[in-house]
Amino acid sequence: MAQTSFTTTGLGYAYGKIAALHSLDLQVPNGRTGLVGANGAGKSTLIKILLGILTPTVGSATVLGLDSRKDMIDIRSIVGYMPEGPCLPLDQTAADFLIYAAGTAGLPKRAARQRASDVLTLVGLNEERFRYLGDFSTGMKQRAKLAQAIVHDPELVFLDEPTSGLDPSGREEMLDLIQRLGGFGIDVVVSSHVLRDIERTCDWVVMLDEGTLLHAGPIGGQQTDGTVLLELTHDSDQVVSALRTAGATVTGRERVLEVSLAGGDVYDTVRDAVAMSGASIRRLDGSGGSLEEMFLHHGSQR
Amino acid sequence: MTEQSGAVYDLGYEPFDGERSGRKGARKAVYIDGIRRVLGLGRKARRKIMPWTLIVIAIIPSIVAIGISFILPAGSPDTINLADQNSEFFLLSGTMTMLFTALAAPELLIPDRRDGVLSMLSSRPLTPGDYLGARFASLATIVAGFMIVPQLVLFIGQAATDEEGLFQGFINAADTLPRIIAVAAVYTIAYVPLGFVIASLSNRKAIATASYLAVMIALTAFTEAIVRESSIPAGRWFALLAPINTADAANVWIFGGSNPDALLAVADISPIYGIIALVVFGSLLSMFSLHRYRGLM
Repeated sequence: MAQTSFTTTGLGYAYGKIAALHSLDLQVPNGRTGLVGANGAGKSTLIKILLGILTPTVGSATVLGLDSRKDMIDIRSIVGYMPEGPCLPLDQTAADFLIYAAGTAGLPKRAARQRASDVLTLVGLNEERFRYLGDFSTGMKQRAKLAQAIVHDPELVFLDEPTSGLDPSGREEMLDLIQRLGGFGIDVVVSSHVLRDIERTCDWVVMLDEGTLLHAGPIGGQQTDGTVLLELTHDSDQVVSALRTAGATVTGRERVLEVSLAGGDVYDTVRDAVAMSGASIRRLDGSGGSLEEMFLHHGSQR
Repeated sequence: MTEQSGAVYDLGYEPFDGERSGRKGARKAVYIDGIRRVLGLGRKARRKIMPWTLIVIAIIPSIVAIGISFILPAGSPDTINLADQNSEFFLLSGTMTMLFTALAAPELLIPDRRDGVLSMLSSRPLTPGDYLGARFASLATIVAGFMIVPQLVLFIGQAATDEEGLFQGFINAADTLPRIIAVAAVYTIAYVPLGFVIASLSNRKAIATASYLAVMIALTAFTEAIVRESSIPAGRWFALLAPINTADAANVWIFGGSNPDALLAVADISPIYGIIALVVFGSLLSMFSLHRYRGLM
């Protein structure tokens, strides 16, 4: 496998006179990568270029070490794609469609049947395999879309807004599935405008805004800048006192506090203060390093 | 109490290590799916009604003709000489074939665009040309089959009613087989490309079906009027624009007959030129379909 999921060099694309991507330089490593940005940021355009559906106006791109223009067929043999919009034939059963989807990726018939069955089980649709896709709920359709994207055992899968339209429990299940894909040796590129989804599932992020690159880098290393958001179950002056005694700066009021500590581990300090005072924590969040704040920070620097 | 034994195995995710047939396999999958889709296989029962009704209706005349030739004694004035019926049956099934094409072509292209299946296919080792080529082949196969099956029934009937016995009957009738295939091919070239183009342009199956039938009938009426009634210079060449008339004339010609009242005969154009025109127009229409799909996948 190549050392990168994909790379772009001076990549640009325009729909007529409207530029969708501006001179994008990226080297995205293997693993789970989030592609974040508002609607119209260029996420779907980038995916379509990487799949060879669109030809870049300028620059070049590689996917798993293969050139997106010259090696389009080879790339498509080893990648999967879950589009944001519908992609399911409503008059076909889930099993038939998955066999067809595997066949279109070049799998022999017997293997296609076996993979279809395995993947439907994996996404939790085994019981529904003989139902027509048109009778599926939104959540089941999203699972079926994910199933078709991985039925041929791709090396890399592009997921475009995979949690779109899902209720909270469906969203959790989909995110769990996405997290599991990494364990199967499949690189994942998740496009989403829901930053929490990316935070939860990915270890790398590419931020786009109006077709330009805001930021690209690992997610984990940016989570803590010495500030946390602490919410207690009850008011506790004792906690505030203990924190201040330990040298932390505490702002906020009543039960919701923002705690900063320079030159120490803020989480340890919070833990000790809460344990000492006998208070209970309702919520403890990293602050200052969330994707949302990163996005706003990088956006404001443009 | 016995000691419990056993284990729960998490089989997990099984990677696929076998050989992938890439583009060739992808085209084959789209082709087979096209045939299944047109015939309603793997679909709800109501989706099977129309294609199979038309197929049965197309076969019935052959079965009736064979039945009559079995029942009536040889030499009876009402008996049917099956050996003379191939061309007649092609003419008879021509309209049915046109209707079948009108229903089948939209079924092959429109749902994939409407339901977004092209998005899925655009991540597979396929070019737009591969996809359209495979779908075109599905349609051509099924339309040709729709015409050939009744002819094969007739062929078996010819052999079965042969006075020299079944085996010799097959040998005696064998020379009609290549003609049957040739005529089916001509009708396929005449009917399929236009249906394909219209299906590639329309987003509703019913509109595509109606538009196709309207264009085919209008082309026939228009060329009939120009060739037979008008005095436009070189107007006779308009006869090449009528796919139905051309296919009918080619059918009669291939089976060794002649029809002086056929449009091509009136225009004094050999059926061979009509067949060449069908191939040229079919190629142009197919290229137009390809143009339509560029950028869609």
